[in-house]
Amino acid sequence: MSAGQPGALDRGKLFAARLHAVRARPYLASALFALHVVESHRVPTMAVDRHWRVYASPAFVDRTPVEELAGVWVHEVSHLLRDHHGRGDRFAREHGLTGPGERLRMNIAADCEINDDAFGDGLARPEGAVTPAALGLRGGELMEDYLRQFRLGARTQEFAWLECGSGADGREREWDLGPDGAHGLSDQERDAVRFRVAQGIVGNPGDAPAGWRRWAEEAFHPPQPWRELLGAAVRSAASGSGAGGDYSYGRPARRSAGVPGAVLPSLRRRPPRVAVVIDTSGSVSDAELGSALREVAAIARAVGGRRDLVTVLSCDAAVHRVDPLCRAEGIALAGGGGTDLRAGFTKALRVRPGPDVIVALTDGQTPWPDSRPPCRTVVGLFDRRTAHRPDHYRPFAAPSWARVVTIG
Amino acid sequence: MPLATPHAAAPPRSGASQLGIADELLALLRDTTTESRPDTQLEALTLAVAADLPVLLWGEPGIGKTAALTQLAAALDLPLTTVIASVHEPSDFAGLPIVGDDPAERGVPMAPPDWAVRLARAGRGLLFLDELSTAAPAVQAALLRLVLERRVGALRLPPGVRIVAAANPRSSAADGWELSPPLANRFVHLQWTHDHEVVVRGLGGTWPRATLPRLDARRLPEAVDFARRAVCGLLAARPGLTHRLPTGEANRGGAWPSPRSWEMTLRLIAFATAADSSREVLSLLVRGAVGDGPGLELLASLDRLDLPDPEDLLADPAGASLPERGDLRQAALDAVVAAVRARPDESRWDAAWSLLANAVETGAPDLVVVPATTLATLRREGWEVPAAIERLAGAVSLSRRADIAATRSAAGGGGR
Repeated sequence: MSAGQPGALDRGKLFAARLHAVRARPYLASALFALHVVESHRVPTMAVDRHWRVYASPAFVDRTPVEELAGVWVHEVSHLLRDHHGRGDRFAREHGLTGPGERLRMNIAADCEINDDAFGDGLARPEGAVTPAALGLRGGELMEDYLRQFRLGARTQEFAWLECGSGADGREREWDLGPDGAHGLSDQERDAVRFRVAQGIVGNPGDAPAGWRRWAEEAFHPPQPWRELLGAAVRSAASGSGAGGDYSYGRPARRSAGVPGAVLPSLRRRPPRVAVVIDTSGSVSDAELGSALREVAAIARAVGGRRDLVTVLSCDAAVHRVDPLCRAEGIALAGGGGTDLRAGFTKALRVRPGPDVIVALTDGQTPWPDSRPPCRTVVGLFDRRTAHRPDHYRPFAAPSWARVVTIG
Repeated sequence: MPLATPHAAAPPRSGASQLGIADELLALLRDTTTESRPDTQLEALTLAVAADLPVLLWGEPGIGKTAALTQLAAALDLPLTTVIASVHEPSDFAGLPIVGDDPAERGVPMAPPDWAVRLARAGRGLLFLDELSTAAPAVQAALLRLVLERRVGALRLPPGVRIVAAANPRSSAADGWELSPPLANRFVHLQWTHDHEVVVRGLGGTWPRATLPRLDARRLPEAVDFARRAVCGLLAARPGLTHRLPTGEANRGGAWPSPRSWEMTLRLIAFATAADSSREVLSLLVRGAVGDGPGLELLASLDRLDLPDPEDLLADPAGASLPERGDLRQAALDAVVAAVRARPDESRWDAAWSLLANAVETGAPDLVVVPATTLATLRREGWEVPAAIERLAGAVSLSRRADIAATRSAAGGGGR
């Protein structure tokens, strides 16, 4: 193929590379085809903006073999699919980060997220692609995780030229055509393309590597922060009818005196009693228990429960201890054998007066009571699908009468 | 402080005129201008309210929900009544039981509060129920009856009254506010966020003035037709989307698909079409009614509705105009090849080849390769190879180049 006049972008080569990328990664086809190519002499290599334009340097395209260019295509489209610019903006806002140095760090972290499983399997790794291993970090994590783990320094020196554009780190570049330029995708169009790609991956999970599958599952259902979910579940369980503050006609309001003839309800508050059943079998780590327990205690306080109304039971195959929370800030948790939380439930319900809410913190490797307990139940389930023990983990179905929050 | 020298122009510094100066300063601070600016979320809210669907605004306190409602009321030409739910008692919404002379005979009437009486008398208005989430559960229960059944005690609000409710997100709600799935299904959920840029410009003296959507009376039948086609087309292809209760803790209290919310969606699409709203607005509305996943599927199928009909393309390959965007163009070409496969004959096959040749000449050549390969396999015995194939030479050599690259990267390392 001819490159036209010297210095002009060899589109033929670029498109051949895209075709190769589409053949190697068919599930990314709609995203790759949705990108609009812009020739630019100012980008060092190839870069994307947040409006799904890809800027290519003619010199870079000339000197790079087609198979590596294909890798670059996949790399750049990954930035957009994974919404690195949006996530970078959010991270910067939350952590008060400013300046080009921080954005470079985001670019490097985003590259790490992509590159650990993007190449191989028919796709060549572009020269100089940064990997977590090059920074001495573990693979398989997210941009946000990497951002917490490294600073700019000697190790990152060789990546200081790294430039994937505003689509990768959210910082506008001087060559960006901006939202009003031609061939940009609107928010809705970007979502539609990302959605189609995600659906393709979920529909044919065999074809895509684990990182992409995880992305596809979470692209439009991001994992919720478990603290908030657990809080909402416990709060709503604890403030249901019969507990918490609510209006009652049982005793007329004092306001009734001012409205003769009318019957007004008054606000009554009955603090909820919370029983926390903790799975102390060998499979649950102390750190996990500690954080979940702190959370429950904080929530119980927030809903107006006095600390003496929160009871903690540690339980493996038998119940070991029952502690009111006020006595034990650092509760000694006994146990370590197999799990049968049924004993914990029985014990919790035997306490008089009975609890308004039972919160069970467990990894789910336990039998559950056959019938619904006579109070609301929230199950905090420790997530075991992480990299640490992927295979022999067998999730137990949590009972339908409990509200289940996945923790971790 | 030196004694004030008597001067004719100097105003006397008494307490009352201090307040006068303060008023002057306040007037200066209030003196702001507005600029026209598209506002997607306000446009979505306006359409949902015009469509008479219960709207629930989810947003942190202090981000300008009330200001938005003021604009909305002005646009719909309705007087605005704001009720802060958390400072009321349940009887303010369920009605105050008034015990009369003979309760056994006459019953106990539930008297409505004054604002409801005024609204009912006016016959029209915009009722904004703010701070739904910080009210006690019994107050919330009473409010939901108001929002969904439009009843306050014994009084029924007239149809001219539109109701909007606002709640804080679950994460910041302090006391157990949460919608059960059946209730969540009755609302259009709109996430209300503030635009940093707008706030900074506003504090600098220039607030945005949204141009609000106007329904076009001439487009109504067309809008209804389009909405019906969109929803029915999707549900016919994806029956599983008709009803799907939310599972898991993460999507509790949000929008989910059911026949009820699909009917709401249909109405929203019709309104957005009649107002000629952008896809962004429609996206907010649809996702707010049936949830993100089904909403995005609906929008994706709308994109396909927008694609040119493959039969039209085959009928006039020379004059055909293909979509500009690469992924859509490829979808259109794939549809053309599928149409040829469904009803193969030589003239259609030829027409498809000239379409592909057009596509190579007017856009990126790589996206023609897959449809061309498929089309080639559809050839029957005795069909002449059309001249148009010559024009695909570029795509063929591109494909060969990609093949070579594939072989090289499979061989490992890649040639430098």
